[in-house]
Amino acid sequence: MASSKASRLGEETRMDKVNAELVVLTYGTIVAQLCKDFDSDYVEVNKQLDKMGYNIGLRLIEDYLAKSNTVRRCANFRETAEMIAKVGFKIFLNITPTITNWTSDGKQFSLVFDENPFADFVELPDDGRAQDELWYSNILCGVLRGALEMVQMQVEAHFISDVLRGNDTTEMRISLIRYIDDELPPEDD
Amino acid sequence: MVVYSFYIFDRHTECIYSKSWLPPPTSHDGSAAAAAAAAPPPPTTTTAPHTTASDNNNDAKLIFGTVFSLRNMVRKLGGDDDAFVSFRTAHYKLHYYETASSLRLVMLTDTATPSMRNVLHQIYINLWVEYVVKNPLSPVEHRGGRGVRNELFELGLDQFVRGLM
Amino acid sequence: MANLGPGKAAISKEQAGLRYPSNGKTIYHRPLHRSKTAELSQSSFAYLFSEMVSYAQRRVTGIQDLEKRLNLQGHPVGLKLLDLLLTREPARTQTRPLTIIALLHLIKINLWTHLFGRQADRLEKSSNPDTPDEYMIVDNEPLVNAYISVPREMSQLNCAAFVAGIVEGMCDGAMFPARVTAHTVGGKEEGEMWPGKTVFLVKFQPEVLEREALIGKG
Repeated sequence: MASSKASRLGEETRMDKVNAELVVLTYGTIVAQLCKDFDSDYVEVNKQLDKMGYNIGLRLIEDYLAKSNTVRRCANFRETAEMIAKVGFKIFLNITPTITNWTSDGKQFSLVFDENPFADFVELPDDGRAQDELWYSNILCGVLRGALEMVQMQVEAHFISDVLRGNDTTEMRISLIRYIDDELPPEDD
Repeated sequence: MVVYSFYIFDRHTECIYSKSWLPPPTSHDGSAAAAAAAAPPPPTTTTAPHTTASDNNNDAKLIFGTVFSLRNMVRKLGGDDDAFVSFRTAHYKLHYYETASSLRLVMLTDTATPSMRNVLHQIYINLWVEYVVKNPLSPVEHRGGRGVRNELFELGLDQFVRGLM
Repeated sequence: MANLGPGKAAISKEQAGLRYPSNGKTIYHRPLHRSKTAELSQSSFAYLFSEMVSYAQRRVTGIQDLEKRLNLQGHPVGLKLLDLLLTREPARTQTRPLTIIALLHLIKINLWTHLFGRQADRLEKSSNPDTPDEYMIVDNEPLVNAYISVPREMSQLNCAAFVAGIVEGMCDGAMFPARVTAHTVGGKEEGEMWPGKTVFLVKFQPEVLEREALIGKG
C-alpha cells in the first residue's frame, strides 16, 4: 500500500543532521526581520514568507528527489499527499503531519500539524493584531507550492488555523489547481 | 572510456550548462557537431573551422530537440514509466537522464561506453544538488546559465569525469 | 523566548492579551529543554540560510552592507542562546561569565558544540600590542558555509557573518559589548587543507578592557 511505503521511505531516507535549535532560531530571526522591515504589516510578512518558501521549494524538491531516490511521478494527488506528509516533512522537519479532510473530488486536503518545530520558542507579539493576521509558519505554504510546481503540479496552499493564534490545531489546506504540461523548446526561426 | 561533452537543460528547455572535454570524432571536418547528424530537422551546415560559442549554442539546441523528441516517443510507445536512456551512432553514444523536476542531463561518450545512467544520477545528487541547488549565492532559476558555473560545481564535475576516463 | 519583538506596550485596555489553545499547547507548557538534543536536516538549515542571504542581498548595496545585515540577523539569536545555554548548565555554573576568557570559552566550547556539533578549532588573543582588545575564534570549516561557492567578484564575502552576529549577540548579552566580524583566511593554493578557514575577530569595547583591568587588580 502506498501509505506504508511512503512511511518506510520517510524513515529510511538519510539526511545530514544539524542541531534543531539552529534551524528554529534561524527561522525565527528571518520572521522577526521581516516584521521589522515591513513595519509589522503582517499581511505583507505572510506574503514575503510565502515567496521565500516558494524559492526554497524550487530548490528543496531537487534534494528531495535526490535523497529519496524518486524517479517516478506520483500516480495521483492522494499519493502526492502521502509523499509530502510522510517523506517530505519527515526528512526535512522530522515530523509527519496528518492527512485529512479530503474533498470528494480528491483535489483538496488538509495537513494537521501535531508538532511544528518552527513554533518551538514562539509566542506572537501581543499587539492585538499579530494573532489575527500573521501566519507564522507561512513559509511552509510557499515551500509546497514551489516544490510541487517543479514536479508539474500547480497548487494553492494556506493555513486555516494555528496554535500560535490560540487555535487548538495547526492546519494547512492544499488544493490542486492543475497539472502543468512540459515546456516545449522555442520554435526555430 | 572517453567522455566528449556534457550538457544540462532546465525545465524551461534552456541549456544552462555545457562542457566539453574532447571533440567527438567526425566523418567530415568542419561539421557543426556529430550530434547534429542525428537531429531532425537536418542541421544547417556551418563552414567555420573552429567551434565557436554560437556553434555550441546551436549544438545544444539540436541536442535538446533530439532528446526531447526521443523521450516523448519512448513514453508514447512504452508508457509513462518508460525512459529514454541512450542512443549510439558510428562515432559516439549519447546518454540521457531526466529527473522528476524536468532537469535533463546529457553526456556524449565513445561508443564502447556502457550505460552512464548511474554516472548522470551521481552528478545530479552529488554535484548539482549540493553545489548549485544549495548554494545561497546561486539563483533559483538559471536563465543564461547563471549560478551554475561556480567553482565547487565545475571542479567537482571535472574531477569526477576525469576520474572515469 | 518569543522570537518577535516586545509588543506589550501596544496593548490597549479592552484587549485581553494573547489567546491560547484550550488544549494547553503553549510555550509555557512545553519543556524548554525538549529540543536541546533534537536534530533536523542540514538541508533545511541550508535552504533557510540561503533565503536569508538572498533576501538580504536584495536590500543592500555592497558586500560590507550584506555582511552587516547577516550580522544583524544573527545578533538576536546570540542573545537568546546565551540565556538558553546558561539555563542548561548545572546550577553551579549557571552564572554569566565574568571575564573575557570565561566568555570566550563559553562561546568556543558551549555555543559551538550546541550549534555545530563540535568546538571551534582555536581561540587566540591578538599578539599585536596595539590591539589588546582583539581576540580570534577560528573555525576551519564553518558549517554555514558548507554549500557556498563565492564567485570571484565577491571574494571578500563571508556569509559566516551570520555566525559573527550570533557571537556578537552573546558578548553583548553577557555585558561584554563587542564588534564581531568574519574573515576568510584559508588560501586558495593547491593542497590547502582548510580553504574555508574563517576567523571570527572579536573586538571588545574599551570599557570591557578597563573593567577587566580593574578586576585583575582587585
